Amino acid sequence: MQDNITKIFKAIADPKRREIFHALIIASSALSITQICGQFSISRQGVTKHIKTLEEAGLVTISSQGRERFCMADAQPLKQVSEWMKFYEKFWDGALDNLGAYLDES
Amino acid sequence: MNDVIKKEHVFAHPIQKVWDAISKAEEISKWFLKTDFKAEKGFKYTFQSSGEADCTQITGEVRSADPYTLIYTWIVKDTNVETVVCWELEETDEGTKLYLKHSGISNYPENSAVTFFNSFDSGWEHCVNDLKSFLKEEVHAG
Repeated sequence: MQDNITKIFKAIADPKRREIFHALIIASSALSITQICGQFSISRQGVTKHIKTLEEAGLVTISSQGRERFCMADAQPLKQVSEWMKFYEKFWDGALDNLGAYLDES
Repeated sequence: MNDVIKKEHVFAHPIQKVWDAISKAEEISKWFLKTDFKAEKGFKYTFQSSGEADCTQITGEVRSADPYTLIYTWIVKDTNVETVVCWELEETDEGTKLYLKHSGISNYPENSAVTFFNSFDSGWEHCVNDLKSFLKEEVHAG
């Protein structure tokens, strides 16, 4: 359970994986590994590896049809991450505002 | 994207004044959260709420407290997840520049996020808001 978010961070830390994920989001339907390879100048093996990392983070689901595998993006896990970040962003902004006001006052 | 929150802020105040505000219990208690904080390595502190019973409590241990770097762990009650808060001050022409870093946010287990946020929505955040209005009143009163 604990390392789910770590997996998500790992998955989106790589710019190429973000691109692939983005392409899948834009497609809004399942794309085959072959189609993904066609969009990026990396090997099929490379794409497969990136997809696997994205799948482990729950950001991509893979289904097989015949000999081809189809990938579909799922943005839901990202929500968890951004909520944590968003909360603390807001929290520290508020805290620093308070600190500034306090310093001006004292 | 990573799991570190970074903030930079310039305060038009001398570095020692800002340092006292972030490292002395009586001052932290005025602008942040009520605390027994001591800027000593190994000290185990508690951030209480600003007097509200339903506010979430933070505990942690001071890792480093040499002027002008303050580092402590940050554990939200009932999460048992350790994150780290680092305050660094630097003297500048305008006053003092603060670099604030809060790291380890990806350590939070995914399934606790919703509960945590719900509790913060009605709890802690509202405590911080209370603190804000308290400070505003103080300013106006003064």
